Amino acid sequence: MRVCIVALWFLVCGMARAEDDAAALALPGADAAANASPGSASLLAEGALTRAAVRTGGEADAQRVSVDVSEDARVAPNWRLVFGDRLDVDWAGTATSGQAINTLKQAYASWQPRTDVLLDAGRINARQGVAFGYNPTDFFRADALRAVDSLDPNSLRDERLGTVMLRGVGLWDGGALAAAVAPRLADQPRAASFDLDLGATNPRARWLLTLTQRITADLSPQWLLFSTGSQPPQVGLNVTSLVGSSIVAFVETSAGRAPTLWAQALGLDGAESLHACAATGLTYSAANKLSLTLEYEYDGAALDRGAWAAARDGSSQAYGRYREFVLDQQELPTQRAAFVYASWQDGLARHLDLDGFVRVDLIDHSLLPWVELRYRWPQLDAAVRWQDYIGGRTTDFGAATTRQTWQLLLDYYL
Amino acid sequence: MCNRAAILKRASHAARCGWRILGLCAAATAAAVAVTVAAATETAADAPVDAQQVLAASDAIRNPSRSFALTTTLIEYHKGRETDTSTLQIYAKADGASGQYRNLIRFAAPSRDVNKLMLKNGNDLWFYDPSSQASVRISPRQRLLGQAANGDVVTVNLARDYRAQLVGEEDIDVGDGMPRRCRELALAAVSADVTYNHIEIWIDAVSSHPAKAKFYAESGQLLKTAYYRRYQRELDADRPTETVIIDGLDRQWVTIMRYSDYAWRDVPESWLQRDYLPRFKPE
Repeated sequence: MRVCIVALWFLVCGMARAEDDAAALALPGADAAANASPGSASLLAEGALTRAAVRTGGEADAQRVSVDVSEDARVAPNWRLVFGDRLDVDWAGTATSGQAINTLKQAYASWQPRTDVLLDAGRINARQGVAFGYNPTDFFRADALRAVDSLDPNSLRDERLGTVMLRGVGLWDGGALAAAVAPRLADQPRAASFDLDLGATNPRARWLLTLTQRITADLSPQWLLFSTGSQPPQVGLNVTSLVGSSIVAFVETSAGRAPTLWAQALGLDGAESLHACAATGLTYSAANKLSLTLEYEYDGAALDRGAWAAARDGSSQAYGRYREFVLDQQELPTQRAAFVYASWQDGLARHLDLDGFVRVDLIDHSLLPWVELRYRWPQLDAAVRWQDYIGGRTTDFGAATTRQTWQLLLDYYL
Repeated sequence: MCNRAAILKRASHAARCGWRILGLCAAATAAAVAVTVAAATETAADAPVDAQQVLAASDAIRNPSRSFALTTTLIEYHKGRETDTSTLQIYAKADGASGQYRNLIRFAAPSRDVNKLMLKNGNDLWFYDPSSQASVRISPRQRLLGQAANGDVVTVNLARDYRAQLVGEEDIDVGDGMPRRCRELALAAVSADVTYNHIEIWIDAVSSHPAKAKFYAESGQLLKTAYYRRYQRELDADRPTETVIIDGLDRQWVTIMRYSDYAWRDVPESWLQRDYLPRFKPE
């Protein structure tokens, strides 16, 4: 009897599956490539409403409108023009006149005389690194941010200035060699709304060599050699490896002789010494579209536990200058930090994505949690963001002027 | 039936438990269709074939013989309602050493994803976002395309990665009301680094056209069922222009993949480098 029931159950299951298959095979489909884009230009318009709790009491409201455009046009068989620009207009409180900040992200010409040789000239966003929260080999990141709309590392990479440079790339089966030379074009960053801000990206002459070579099917390390001219060269390394079918392990590291960040921030005549920086971790991908990244970060040029405690207890002016400097340089203020990032596409419902990260200063144990809930329509996103600076008054994250911040966003893609 | 179950069991030792359940299911189903299955088994016994050759012939139908490009449009349905569409441009080139395909995939729609790239060279997968100029290595399991796995959109030579055994013959209807006599093969992965642990595939006995496939995890869990259909003359052969994928966990999720714009296309080695991703420009 029991066997008959089991047999009947499987028979019913099989029939249900056959019905499901028949229903699926009767679906209409759609005209192939109906929505395909030729892929030359894109535009993002974003509106944001922000309410932040001020640490000293009260709340601060702000509004922002941003327009981000990009164009990648082939103007001749071997020539391309690449352009990317972002305009942010912020209104604080109820002020009627907004503050505009324009970021010319990229504007360069690219010549490709052969399929394996390229030459680029102009403002180029030459981004390096395989880590997520801290990129010690991303040598052109210093002073590259004009406006910070989000603390999400992906947004920080999206919205930064490129560096004016001449770059050549040669590729072969399994490897590539690139050389970039960036001249000195100005002295100081400038805050004027539509300034090209060449002083931020090209304050001194620099060059970068990168070499990638596949060693095994799974291992293609990238070596970097970077020099600012006045300082000894820095070496860098990026390595990734697959662990099973769902984990990617990564190591990003750089090393070289340089003054400490404290000495650089305060303009002190500090002796150069060998410093190493690193970010290493794992990204795990689950079958349900959840990705989780754990990253350990080390900045040997930043302040250690004792020096950080002394800085917090010392001159508030020096402390403030140091914080501002490391923020602009996109360095860590203390030597050790951790970063946890989770991204869950369609996590809570279809088209409803949940992303979040936590930055933890492992020296003073202050932290920054950030969460975004985003719903996606075909050309429109609606999102709500929350972040909180948690920690004592002079800690890494506790020193921020705001505590909790809520933000509502609308993104339109064209 | 016992022979069928034995072959399936040999196909994946690691999936023993899952196959046991499938064996029960198959046994129960067979009680209702015993005559048909027995006839299929007899036919298979009468005409022994090289299962690996059958699979290779089927690969040749899905995969053109040299570098090519095509456009793939994915339409997702849940409970019969369209929920998502995306369009990809795919460039494929066989690797001289392994015989396996390397793929460069450009997202052409929707707008938010335009010009994002995925590079697949074996299990070396990179995702590139042009807005951040960032190339991020991703694992084979990471999904970028809604319900579809990355492995579903790339060109794969199954005969390179799986060992095939003939199970029997069966009539398969791909939705056009014209059942085709197909050989059923059980495929067992020859290495652990493939997307699916084992596969059942039904291949037209006359034309070598793949008609249906069922893809399984190591646990024996059915991950998806695929139907290959709407064959048209493309790149010197009749090739499927549509694949219907039914999710194994929730059969209400269906993805239809439509293939168009097949073209022979030289794919330079430089395109298949991670360092080239920021410089790739579609033509």
